Amino acid sequence: MMQWRVLLQKEWRDHVRSLKVLWIPLVFVLYGVMQPVMLYYMEDIMKAVGNMPEGFDMGITDVTSVEVMASTVGQFHLIVSLIIVLSFMGIISKERKNRTAALLYVRPISFSSYYFSKWSGATIVALVSTIIGLLASYYYTVILYNEVDAWRIAALIGTYSLWVLFVVTVTVTASALFPTGVAGTLAILLTYFVQLIDSIIGQFWTVSPWKLGTYAVTWLGSKPDSSDFWLSVVVTVIAIIVLMFVGVFGARKNMENIKI
Amino acid sequence: MSSLLMMLLPIIIIEFILLIVALIDLVKIPETNGPKWLWAIAIVCVSIIGPIIYFIFGRKQV
Repeated sequence: MMQWRVLLQKEWRDHVRSLKVLWIPLVFVLYGVMQPVMLYYMEDIMKAVGNMPEGFDMGITDVTSVEVMASTVGQFHLIVSLIIVLSFMGIISKERKNRTAALLYVRPISFSSYYFSKWSGATIVALVSTIIGLLASYYYTVILYNEVDAWRIAALIGTYSLWVLFVVTVTVTASALFPTGVAGTLAILLTYFVQLIDSIIGQFWTVSPWKLGTYAVTWLGSKPDSSDFWLSVVVTVIAIIVLMFVGVFGARKNMENIKI
Repeated sequence: MSSLLMMLLPIIIIEFILLIVALIDLVKIPETNGPKWLWAIAIVCVSIIGPIIYFIFGRKQV
């Protein structure tokens, strides 16, 4: 526990110095806010830039706040996993390469506290940024459109947080197992590509971690099918725990690959 | 039009902060991936995406 705390402090300092604590929340807020504002002023923007025919109605003025929030989360979904994977793909593998790992591994540190410090550091940054971004878009949606039930937003954020946890775990574990390039590619494949497959042929199954993004949006309008939803949550939590064990194992196994 | 400006103001401010922070970091950092002047152009000219790409790929992360 003590080791974990010290390592987490080191991790936090790294995130501060690499400015991740600053730019990741800012970017997430930006993408959360942009969509509602853009949709609201679409007509003005179109009038300003293009010469629309007389009496042209795009039918976007009467969108509901739920639709706005849903499209914002859709937009958000594209950028979140990409930024998380790209900014944390080197979290363990770069230390093996830039000789930090040699300094760490000569000390009697357990690999689980090493891995968990990495995981917690990445999780804090990613999760807080996501929540701030979603809250910002909720705020703007309420200002520009109508009220959305607060519990729906809470359910959305909760479901989405689990997806973010999954992405972070996949990234950190891939980084523990492989060099940075391979880890990034693998994590992108496991989050983006599988999601693409899931959206194409995913109607044959209803339980998978990659469906969490869809379920999160479903909270806005109605409720997701509760048994499917909770099974997906359980499967995701199990997947996260398994990936953590694999990650600790990978960090230990790659000890021989460090540069001294 | 003024309400539009008020709504867009936070977006512009955030964009501006990203730009400034990226530029300050670019000046202070000893080495980047690729030439520094190219990164400066990318950060200033490509809004939002420029600073993000710099933070992800430009800073030397090994």
